[in-house]
Amino acid sequence: MNAVEVNELRVRAGSTSLINDVTLNVEAGTWCTVIGPNGAGKTTLVETVAGLRRSEHGAVSISGVSIGAMGERERALRVAVVPQHPVIPVGMSVRDYVSLGRIAYHGVLRSPSPLDRQTVESVLERLSLVEFALRDVSTLSGGERQRMVLARALAQATKVVILDEPITGLDLRHQITILELLQKEVHESGLTVLATMHDLTLAGQFADRLVLLDRGRVVLEGLSSEVVRSRELSECYGMELRVIDVDGADVVIPVRH
Amino acid sequence: MALVTAATLGALVVAMVCGLVIGPTPIATLRVVGDVFSHFGLGHSTLTPLQSEIIWQLRAPRMVLGLLAGAMLAVAGGTYQGVFRNPLADPYLLGVAAGAGLGATIAIVDVGGAVVTPSWTPILAFAGAMLAVAVTWAIGGRGLRSSTATLILAGVAVASLFTSAQTFLQQQSSTTSLARVYIWLLGSLASATWSSVTLVLPYVVVCVTVCVLAGRALDVMSVGENESRSLGLPVRRVRFVVIAASSLGTAAIVSAVGLIGFVGIIVPHIVRLLVGTSYRKILPISVIFGAAFLVFADTIARTVLAPSELPLGVVTAIIGAPVFVLILSLRRQTVS
Repeated sequence: MNAVEVNELRVRAGSTSLINDVTLNVEAGTWCTVIGPNGAGKTTLVETVAGLRRSEHGAVSISGVSIGAMGERERALRVAVVPQHPVIPVGMSVRDYVSLGRIAYHGVLRSPSPLDRQTVESVLERLSLVEFALRDVSTLSGGERQRMVLARALAQATKVVILDEPITGLDLRHQITILELLQKEVHESGLTVLATMHDLTLAGQFADRLVLLDRGRVVLEGLSSEVVRSRELSECYGMELRVIDVDGADVVIPVRH
Repeated sequence: MALVTAATLGALVVAMVCGLVIGPTPIATLRVVGDVFSHFGLGHSTLTPLQSEIIWQLRAPRMVLGLLAGAMLAVAGGTYQGVFRNPLADPYLLGVAAGAGLGATIAIVDVGGAVVTPSWTPILAFAGAMLAVAVTWAIGGRGLRSSTATLILAGVAVASLFTSAQTFLQQQSSTTSLARVYIWLLGSLASATWSSVTLVLPYVVVCVTVCVLAGRALDVMSVGENESRSLGLPVRRVRFVVIAASSLGTAAIVSAVGLIGFVGIIVPHIVRLLVGTSYRKILPISVIFGAAFLVFADTIARTVLAPSELPLGVVTAIIGAPVFVLILSLRRQTVS
């Protein structure tokens, strides 16, 4: 069964076409990453799938329900979002920030239930954030901050999580930490992940399937190992890309001439 | 938090007692307190009929109106700062002050010998304030689709337009009526009566309640509009309700007491420095702090130059600015 279904999606900003007839399915419990050069429309695509942008044409559904037919609350119960540039509210504690992920459950007029609190504590523990729980969010390092934003998304306890450039700006160790945490959720909890990424090597290593996007169109979609070795990948980036095998993992290297 | 709440409630009680006891006619504090208790069936009043009249017909309505005005302006300021995610937001941001100012000016000035009548001042001020906010809302992005940035810009434009019309009317009016307009613009509780209290009370109770209940929603909105929506918050609906409540309450207060500046912007900031950044704490404490602050300010305004009075807005700024700077520097020392 598909957790995310996108059919003939078209998105415009004024007279500029950002997404052109994109059709895309993500099977439940799998990880799909959208790759492509800057300006390809990756962020626009995932924002539209998350219901944060309006489409001109086409349909998006999450677990079989049209995103357009959902109110904010219902949407938040079905899909969580980790934005590319999350707003970090100064003065808020990490625990309070992660608890924002439970707002759709208890609403703004009621306090969190014991289940809400339990879920937040469980997520803090799973993402090794317990020691930071009382810290001001603005005092965290980039890696800790990104783990916290991921924790907020996981606290929503949705079947689908959408992540826009979740590892941009992080050092290698923190990039791997974030991606492994996500992979664990996919394998153990059956989470469906739709992400965008720039690092082709990590995208290929962690995603089950890759979608190559260029100028708002899907150029290629398939198994990660196929897409990273495709001719289209080099063409989209306008440069030669070489893939080498390191202990069974594909490593994508740009070639300078 | 508990300490701050207790201290603020203590300050409120002291402010209320000062509001009743201090004035040109000296009346012993214990006798005033005894008289208050006697109204609840506890003990007997020892006040003369004249003293009782001074307390209950002059000082009490003024004190109560001060409580309502301070509470409403402070909570509206805090709410605006939350909903617009802008520390410079105050209750007059969307044109309430300019609209009320124009309405009051129409009522007060005598352009070309034609005078509406000063008794219409509260009604026209209220109507002007609500009209300004309605126009701002209509321009600033066609209702529910508006963004906070366009609303603020629309507020600036509408305020400029209304202020220009007000300036034009003032320029055409006599010196006497001009002076009356300025007195109104500076804000005062001098004309407080029980009927003015009764008139604004329902607005303030409802609007303050709505604003305080919006605290958790404003905490969510601190992560921005898109993220709030992805967390399940109906951002546009919340924004509409919160702005409507803040503006309606402010318009009601402004129509009764004129334009009292500084409370709406500075009280939430002082409270934020004391209790942190959560609007669930800032808003209820701002209600109490704002009420106490304005009653203190009014007590000073009507006594330091008695029998004449200082403009209330001047006193709120003179007290508020140093208190704010003091708290800010104490907090910086604590942090460092």
